[in-house]
Amino acid sequence: MFKSVFYLAMMFCFILSNNYAQNATEIVKKADELMRAKSSYSEITMEIVKPDWSRKMGMKVWALEPDFSIIYITEPARDKGTVTLKRKTEVWNWLPSAQKVIKIPPSMMLQSWMGSDFTNDDLVRESSVIKDYTHKMIGEENIDGLDCYKIQLTPKPDAGVVWGKVIAWIVKDTYLEPKVEYYDEDGLLVKKFIGSNLQKMDGRNIFSHWEMIPEDKPDNKTIMDYNKIQFNIKTDESFYSEQNMKRVR
Amino acid sequence: MLLTLAWRNIWRNKKRSLIIISAIAVGLCCGLFASATMFGMWDSMINTTIDRDLGHFQIHSKSYEEEKLLTDTIPNFQNIVTKLNSTKFVAGVSSRTIIEGMASSAATSNGVRILGINSDSEKNITSIHQQIIKGSYFGEGWKNQIVIGEKLADNLGIRERSKIVLSFQGVDGSIIYGAFRVAGIYKTESSVFDKTNIFVKEDELLSLLNSKKISNEIVVRLSSVQQLDSVYLPTKLMYSDLSVKYWGELAPELKLFYDMLLTQMYIFVGIILFALLFGITNTMLMSVMERVREFGVLMAVGMKRSRVFLMIILETISLSFIGGFAGIILALIFIEYFGYVGINLSAFTEGLSQWSLGTQLYTSLPFSFYPPLALMILGTSILGAFYPALKAIRLNPAKAIRTY
Amino acid sequence: MSTYIKLAWRNLWRNKKRTLIAAASVFFAVILALLMRSMQTGYYDYMIDASVRMYTGYIQVHGKDYWEKRSLEESMVTNADQINKLKNINGVQLIVPRFETYSLISHGNKTKVVQITGIDPQLETKLTDLKKKIVSGLYLSDSSKGIVLAQGLAEILKVEVGDSLVIYGQGYHGVTAAAQILIIGIVKFTLPELNKSFSYLSLSYAQWLFSAPERLTSLSIMIDNPKDLDRIKSDIQKVFNDKYEVMDWEELSPELIQSIQIDNASGIIMLGILYIVIAFGIFGTIMMMTAERVKEFGILISVGMKKWKLALVSIYETLFISFIGVFAGAIISIPILLYFKANPIPLTGEMADAIMAWGFEPILPFAVYPGMFFAQIWTVLAIAMVSALYPVLFIRKLKPVEAMRG
Repeated sequence: MFKSVFYLAMMFCFILSNNYAQNATEIVKKADELMRAKSSYSEITMEIVKPDWSRKMGMKVWALEPDFSIIYITEPARDKGTVTLKRKTEVWNWLPSAQKVIKIPPSMMLQSWMGSDFTNDDLVRESSVIKDYTHKMIGEENIDGLDCYKIQLTPKPDAGVVWGKVIAWIVKDTYLEPKVEYYDEDGLLVKKFIGSNLQKMDGRNIFSHWEMIPEDKPDNKTIMDYNKIQFNIKTDESFYSEQNMKRVR
Repeated sequence: MLLTLAWRNIWRNKKRSLIIISAIAVGLCCGLFASATMFGMWDSMINTTIDRDLGHFQIHSKSYEEEKLLTDTIPNFQNIVTKLNSTKFVAGVSSRTIIEGMASSAATSNGVRILGINSDSEKNITSIHQQIIKGSYFGEGWKNQIVIGEKLADNLGIRERSKIVLSFQGVDGSIIYGAFRVAGIYKTESSVFDKTNIFVKEDELLSLLNSKKISNEIVVRLSSVQQLDSVYLPTKLMYSDLSVKYWGELAPELKLFYDMLLTQMYIFVGIILFALLFGITNTMLMSVMERVREFGVLMAVGMKRSRVFLMIILETISLSFIGGFAGIILALIFIEYFGYVGINLSAFTEGLSQWSLGTQLYTSLPFSFYPPLALMILGTSILGAFYPALKAIRLNPAKAIRTY
Repeated sequence: MSTYIKLAWRNLWRNKKRTLIAAASVFFAVILALLMRSMQTGYYDYMIDASVRMYTGYIQVHGKDYWEKRSLEESMVTNADQINKLKNINGVQLIVPRFETYSLISHGNKTKVVQITGIDPQLETKLTDLKKKIVSGLYLSDSSKGIVLAQGLAEILKVEVGDSLVIYGQGYHGVTAAAQILIIGIVKFTLPELNKSFSYLSLSYAQWLFSAPERLTSLSIMIDNPKDLDRIKSDIQKVFNDKYEVMDWEELSPELIQSIQIDNASGIIMLGILYIVIAFGIFGTIMMMTAERVKEFGILISVGMKKWKLALVSIYETLFISFIGVFAGAIISIPILLYFKANPIPLTGEMADAIMAWGFEPILPFAVYPGMFFAQIWTVLAIAMVSALYPVLFIRKLKPVEAMRG
């Protein structure tokens, strides 16, 4: 009998330790999938805040994770009808005022997208958080009343990411991500990504208010508010095409 | 006979002759040194750029010139490299894969020109490996080493061992990202160059591109720029379907600067010659003036005026030879000295950096310049003697003898 | 005292020829030194002028931090009042406004990143001669809604006058700038980097396209006289009350200032070498003159003239010769230099073609400034006066008996 207890204990420890070791990556994966699902449709308001001016944009986003998405700008009037298409690592823009589709060349990939603090590159690279990093649990912290795992993501040696490290706070059980911090190789904080305003959307509890704040320019931020999300919509690859860019509404 | 007379005349009045000889010697030395200064400047400028990056000539595909796309490759490049390597006077040949892209750090990103090279063959054609100020030229042990310029490192806020992410367009149009780690930081005389050009190992770049071995550019370096025509011209003929260009065509602003320098050199040497002409004329005139009595006597005892004229000219020629010889020796000493030690122009470093000059100016003058310059100066001296000689023979012997 | 001077003066005119020859050596020295320095200075001034005309002008006004950040966010607004104040500053010749940014330009499936400059067509061409660079099509007008492309760009995009392009970029405050636009003209630059990346819109259209009404990225200013640079710069700063940054060409193109200084460095070396040759000319003449008067000196000393008195007289003689030579040289050179300043020497041949291809004029310019003028004169005078030492030393060593024997 002791043998079986012992055996059970061993198993239990084994499961526990395995769980714990894999946990960091799994946790990150679950957090990443929370906002995505296999596909989604969302309506977002983005506000770009600078010290002396600000701008609001409305957009509709269709996404087939991880490689395809279409973003349709609904406001302001000057930008309305502009569409951004992402297919894997390539980005196209449809310009209604010029009636033309333009592919973004590599030199523009690192320029800001629509004037925000996000770059074209950011749109394209989101999906690398699992494959480009190794994940390690470094602690636990309470953020705004929520118990979070504190996980350090270290870029793999060959990964084409500029960060020295990324620290993500992920809420236990719900896998919400209230805060992500991006550091350079010297350990200096470069930018923060903060989520708040917990809401139930399409059956999931998620943060609907997001802010991206660059550390060296604290009066600048980019704010995203999810007004609507639908998860696992019916959509397939053919939707994400140059022709469709001109047709979406 | 006249020559002997002329020769003895010279030594009769040592002081006078010494003065004229030194005037000629100094004039020649100055003219040569001035040319050596200008030439040294041009030489160092050309060589710096050739050493740093250009080589003596380069080969590309004809379509490469327009947009410099990755896909504009040189067909059969292996054969060309092998052939050139075995050509006489060729000191080194290197093939490069070149692609325009972006380099980013956590702080920011910059447009760059990415050169995929073979670090061993590059050492034979450029001097970058000797201009590493931090780290090493691909001497570190890790994968994906990259060598960048100091200006770029500053702009991106990174140093050796820092990570840098390169992004560029692949052959199929998709965007490729690669992480590299800074193995070495170089600094050349041109900060523009340092900001834009980065070096990675060709095979690592090609594997990111998922491409077999290709070449966008072949750079050839000769043992000396003098052999340019003997290697460049036949190569150009042989590969008429490719674009073969020498440094003057690759960097037309260098060529322009050279041409302007040459013009300036001629003008300044011209002015110095004028100064010399006046100096010699004056000195000879003074000398003739004081020998009025002597000439009077000579002409009175029957020496023909034409022979007096010739005598003076011969005197000047003899003096010029001695002065000329001394001048050349002096010039050689100064040019060699400053060619070794250099003239320090460090106050002007930043501008020199743009024009690819270091802070030391090393004077030099190819031997081919000496004969024409020496002849010009000797000719000037002789010309200078004409007027005084004319004055001498126009004297009235009777009056001349009576002159105090 | 005056006896010695009288004696010196009379000595000079006793032997007119000798005096004239000696004075002539100083005379030519002055003229040559002035010619060379005038050419060098003329060349530097010309290089600076030609280079600032290529783009920046002598002074530029930008919005704060524009030079470092170079984005539309740092653009500035000016009003008519400020512009008037600028125009009224003494010495301001031209004020050229620009709206500079970069965008994507696309035709068919070719897309390129290009520099876009919104210009006031009349003012721009007064500064850079842009209109003359048109090789096909037309130049912009104030109300143009079309684009003028650099030739290299047109070749890459495979377009010509009359084709339409799409511009896509980011305007002020991140607003999208996108439009279809017609090519009205093509310009050619000699520098390939410019030829492959520049394009021009009319200022008003650019401001509309990039949602930046009334905004400018720079004011480029040309001045009459480069020597007034500092004063004009501070006057401009006062107009804008430090709200905007004011930079001069030395700050805008530090490489330019130094590359011109290389020429300065080599020019000074050349001038130094010229002085050596000149000095020898003068010395030689004086030395010769002294050596030939050995008999005269010998006699004077033997009949009782004290050596120092003789030396003094000879110093005065040399001084007179120097002054005469320098004075004559200075007077004659003034008209010569002024003539060349107004009529620079034209260059010909291959050299001239190369220079013209770059957009520079193939001439040898001359410049005359009082400061430079007097500097050369004092130097030659100094050399001449130093040469007065030689006769003094000579006289000291003179042995009268030997001297008289000639």
